[in-house]
Amino acid sequence: MSIAERSPFKYSVAGRLISDPLAVAAVTIIAILVLGAVFADFIAPYDYKALNVRARFAPPSFEHLLGTDNLGRDTFSRLLFGARIALFVGMTSVGLAALIGLTLGMIAGFGPRWLDNTILFLFDTLRAYPTIILALALGALLSPGLGTVISVVVLTSLSEYGRVARTQTQAISGREFIDAERAMGASTMRILVMHILPNVLGPFFILAAINLPVVITIEAGMSFLGVGVAPGTPSWGATLKDGFDYIRNTPWLIVSGGIPLILVTLGFTFLGESLRDVLDPKLRKER
Amino acid sequence: MTATFNPFTAAQLSRRQLLAGAAGLGAMAAMPIKVWAAGNTLNIRTYTEGDNFDPVDASGFGEEMLYGCIYRKLIQYTPGNEWGWQPDLVEVIEQTSPTEIAFTLKKGQMWSDGFGEITAEDVKFSLERIIDPKMESAIKPDLGSLSGVEVTGTHTGVIKLSSPFAPIWSIALPYLAGTIVCKKAIGEGKRITDAVPPTVAGPYRVAELRPGDRWVLERNPEFTGPKADFEKVQIILIDDEATAEIAFEAGDLDFTRIGLGSIERLRENPPENAVLSEHPSLYYVWVGMNMENPKLKDIRVRQAIQHAIDVPSILEAAYFGVADASTGIIAPGLIGHRAENLVPPQADFAKARAMLDEAGVDTLDLKLDVLNKSTWTTAAQVIQATLAEVGINLSIGVHESGSFWSLGKEADGDRWKSLELVLNRFSMTPDPYYATAWFTTEQIGKWNWERFSNEEFDKLHKAAMGETDTAKRDRMYKRMQDLMEESGAYRFITHEAAPNLYSKELKPAVRPDSLPLIQYFAKA
Repeated sequence: MSIAERSPFKYSVAGRLISDPLAVAAVTIIAILVLGAVFADFIAPYDYKALNVRARFAPPSFEHLLGTDNLGRDTFSRLLFGARIALFVGMTSVGLAALIGLTLGMIAGFGPRWLDNTILFLFDTLRAYPTIILALALGALLSPGLGTVISVVVLTSLSEYGRVARTQTQAISGREFIDAERAMGASTMRILVMHILPNVLGPFFILAAINLPVVITIEAGMSFLGVGVAPGTPSWGATLKDGFDYIRNTPWLIVSGGIPLILVTLGFTFLGESLRDVLDPKLRKER
Repeated sequence: MTATFNPFTAAQLSRRQLLAGAAGLGAMAAMPIKVWAAGNTLNIRTYTEGDNFDPVDASGFGEEMLYGCIYRKLIQYTPGNEWGWQPDLVEVIEQTSPTEIAFTLKKGQMWSDGFGEITAEDVKFSLERIIDPKMESAIKPDLGSLSGVEVTGTHTGVIKLSSPFAPIWSIALPYLAGTIVCKKAIGEGKRITDAVPPTVAGPYRVAELRPGDRWVLERNPEFTGPKADFEKVQIILIDDEATAEIAFEAGDLDFTRIGLGSIERLRENPPENAVLSEHPSLYYVWVGMNMENPKLKDIRVRQAIQHAIDVPSILEAAYFGVADASTGIIAPGLIGHRAENLVPPQADFAKARAMLDEAGVDTLDLKLDVLNKSTWTTAAQVIQATLAEVGINLSIGVHESGSFWSLGKEADGDRWKSLELVLNRFSMTPDPYYATAWFTTEQIGKWNWERFSNEEFDKLHKAAMGETDTAKRDRMYKRMQDLMEESGAYRFITHEAAPNLYSKELKPAVRPDSLPLIQYFAKA
């Protein structure tokens, strides 16, 4: 087959993803979760807040697909609304961490050595804090809530994005085309935004996709420890915590709470793997 | 190529053999625990760890469990369903006047490790060091108006009070502050700082202390009372009730308090060889309202909240229907217990809404602060749902214990100013004085987080402390709870319930509120 006969879509990023069964599985799982979260108001069979204490700890049935919790609330409905919290925390935290990390990383990679050292020191300091300890400390200092969860995730993960951005920037800034841009009088901002940024973004998408389930698990973990979302808010972690607290009364709650976490982890991990295969030319050659 | 020594091939040990060996070793490691549980060791759970061996520094029931085993008192709580006391060190003890109690010690009661006989000097030393301001003991209030002890002989003395103090028999002498320690072993003005106490007088002595894990006690061979039934007692720290229940089923515990959520299941299917016992509790739980917060300054708003909180729903959801609604802060069976509340436990949303309308409040955003335990968060969610019925939007603030217990304390910052509603629970001793003491004007900013101040209440509290006429005292405490409820700052929830699970091979001894008196435990 000649080059002229090649379908442009087939060799585009989207085309290559569609031809990868792992990516298709990932996108399907993620689409189900996202659609479930977006249309929770229409899909949920019950009001996620409605208490019915007499029906508590009901096992899965046609009436309650995933059973009921300790206050008799429909677990399936709560998990659907919980997906909104999970995705909101995931997207916001990863987005903020990536944005701050990217900016600082590019400044470190392109700036003078003293600035590079200062920013690296900041990254190392943030990296040194164990996530759970920081979460517990912030949860105790501030009151628990979504803001605390997002702050913890951003603080603990921005250095990872920053380091990737710095390394990529340093690798690219020594290339000839950057020297040529400089020789033509391009400003630092133009070089960073127009030439370096596009080359840094690829690894960022992969990293973000792989980090998303981790972030969602951190939210669930913080809610499980009681420093996440406020009681009453539908959250996967809160459902897991209720399941743990009442495991002697019913095993279904903890099983149901775990299902979306497993799905989201699988979905985003598969997507990250597929993206890496597609976007990393070195890996593509090796396949 | 060089030959290397491989221990697996050298010993001809296959992977399968290695796994079998490891399993065998694991089984052997578990064996002693099972042997102890079934034999002469009593394994009992504590949910709170005491800090030290010196009563002057004691803070709660964690220490009381230990002190009951290793020390003695003039009188001890009688095990059973009725509150009462029985002589321990004393042969005779009697109130000779409203401010004097004469006692005579039994002769020949000994300290261990060569510290001689227990004398009236030890009694004087033990009680006076608790009230000594220099010792700064946190349990000093437990001794109320005690002014000193006069020693009249080796075995006789008189306890002196500056004014009548009714709780002397129910709180002071049979609880923490009444613990007798050895003057000769400790010395005037000093504290016990050793890893193990220098001398003991109870049925057990300390064999080992594993901080954060357990106290290991062994039979005290020098104990002069009836020989203890167990060779060894392990007081094991397990905070979580579900974990304790699993440990019980695994045979690692012989006695434990369990969660209320387990009662229904255990009533239907008790574990083999186990007994479930249910007791009333003295704890009191309530929703408090900060009267100085601008949102809650209007009494009509507070009273509307009282009427909008549905207590039966909270009891069903958070206490699994096994706890009763409370009528105040004083539990049934104690002097001052009220037969009913001024505000019925059932919510009256129409009345609450009308009160809010009268106060000119359409919608109201409030915050309820709670501890991060499932009982509290569950109760909070029920309160959130019921307050929504009258247009109150409630957010829930969850705190770990360090953060929670500083919320209303002025000494810990300004957070008390923004405090609105709080779901609270206090422990209690079997005298009403111990309940009302925290709600006086003097306690504002300390334990009185509602900032409730009432002159009549304060006067009654002082007077009731010294009132020896039981009927009169009963009326005083009832009136005090009426005053609390009338202020609108309190919605009383429950006194909880206290279930225990124990081995059929055990004959436990517990106070009426289910707390164990380990020194009296025996084999069935």
